Amino acid sequence: MVLAALRGVSFTYAYTNEPALRDINLTLEEGLLYAVIGPNASGKSTLCALLRGIVPLFHEGELTGTAEIRGRNLLEWDPAELSREIGYVFENPFTQISGIKETVFEEIALGLENLGMPPEEVIDRVEQVVEQLELGALVAKNPNELSGGQRQKVAFASIIAMDADVIVIDEPTSQLDPESSDAVFAIIANLKKSGKSIVLVEHKMDLVAQYADRVIALNGGRLVIEGPTSEVFTSPLLNASDIARPAVTELAEALVHVGRPLSRTPVTRAEAAELIRARMKGGSRADRSR
Amino acid sequence: MSSESGNAVAFVNRFRTYVDRGNPIRNMDPIVVFIVLAAIAIAPIAFPGFVAAAIVCLIYPVIALFAGVAREFLPTYLKLFLVVGLVLFVLRAAFIDGEDPLFRLGNIAPTWAGVEEGARFALLVMAISGAVTLFFNLATVRYLMLALELRGVTPRATYVILASFQSIIDLGRHARTVLEAQQSRGIETQGNIIVRARAFFPILAPVFLAAINQTEERAVSLDARAFNSNVPHTHLVMLRPTRPRELVVAVLVVATVLAAFIGSAVGWF
Repeated sequence: MVLAALRGVSFTYAYTNEPALRDINLTLEEGLLYAVIGPNASGKSTLCALLRGIVPLFHEGELTGTAEIRGRNLLEWDPAELSREIGYVFENPFTQISGIKETVFEEIALGLENLGMPPEEVIDRVEQVVEQLELGALVAKNPNELSGGQRQKVAFASIIAMDADVIVIDEPTSQLDPESSDAVFAIIANLKKSGKSIVLVEHKMDLVAQYADRVIALNGGRLVIEGPTSEVFTSPLLNASDIARPAVTELAEALVHVGRPLSRTPVTRAEAAELIRARMKGGSRADRSR
Repeated sequence: MSSESGNAVAFVNRFRTYVDRGNPIRNMDPIVVFIVLAAIAIAPIAFPGFVAAAIVCLIYPVIALFAGVAREFLPTYLKLFLVVGLVLFVLRAAFIDGEDPLFRLGNIAPTWAGVEEGARFALLVMAISGAVTLFFNLATVRYLMLALELRGVTPRATYVILASFQSIIDLGRHARTVLEAQQSRGIETQGNIIVRARAFFPILAPVFLAAINQTEERAVSLDARAFNSNVPHTHLVMLRPTRPRELVVAVLVVATVLAAFIGSAVGWF
């Protein structure tokens, strides 16, 4: 089933001259994890906002082309209905805390209260999410007094708790240390396994390469390439667009330049380890035969 | 079971029962507390002189004592009396014209009428500010808003009030951050009042602009939490249902105050 179909979509925010998105043609399927990558101001957040209907339903501007979400024109969606169907974790953790709840537990429960869920079910659901995200130590704390990283986790938990079919996540690990980033990605992978559709903006390419099914690369508001993760990261189009790639892919490129290419270009660390191990075995056999 | 997981269970279990603030007065319906205190606060207006206002000012410490909040309430209330009450009394007493001045100090000639009027005005203000202070010790705005929401006030209205209180704290925190950033760049922020004012005013613009900028993001974030959903919202926190005796107290206090105003209007006092 098609999650989103964008045809010739351009969007210019009100009071600006330059479009944030230019002539985007894209089809997103349900049940996959899409990573949106690109340099700063390439339109990643605007694309996510469009998929969630925040533009143009909330942030005004000029939208041209056709954007369909789950088979219905974006402009025909009721914003309240969209908020139930598509969860959205924003980039800035400091504006995602409601400011009206006394504890993290209540903060995570807010979305469920707004959906009219009975309190006993709310408690069970929040307990599950707290356990899943290992937030036990934070539940009794005041959400307004958390650090950036803790707020980011709480904001993430709050959206996960709402159990939307589609989750758009804008840089969920920007304030997190490597260990917490890995933990968040493991949760995202589990969400995908449970059948959720995920659209994720992320700058940590190694994690994108490891977890994403498909990658959408943007630059200057234009779609550079969309496709399976390994295809996108090995595409020469990325080089021309100044878009970063996973460290192991860069390493493989460097090996090509020194005349020692690997048998294929890896995009994940596991692939790279396997190829290098094979190279080393081959190398030592060659040494022995000499 | 470890003590940490035991604490977590106890923490979660508190949402399965009514909110217990550990005292019958503090457990009262916040709307009832608000109505009773508001009625008591305005009651002295119906009476001539300052005796009624003085009695009301004395009622608050008694309520605070029974509610177990005297330690929090009394120091604040005494400070209010000493700073605001005293200034209001002196200003009114000193400058209200009348016959037979009690003494003269240059152009200032307080009279007995001025002292009486000053005492009445200062005590009326103290009666009202005492009610506000006591309310914040007895109930929380959060529970008051929840009680109002349960009686049909829209979540948007209650959110605006609660978020406004939080935004005051956030603005203060942000102002401190900007001030510290300025300090680290070598800008003088400590010293006499002029130095402090010179350092303080330039931070107002970035602090308020950032707050305005964040408002939009907050609104969208709230929308992402289904705040605008059309179904009736539920509430994790359970307020105790209003007890009949609380209603009786509220009705009696309001009726008494109403009677006082009617009496005042028809000239009983």
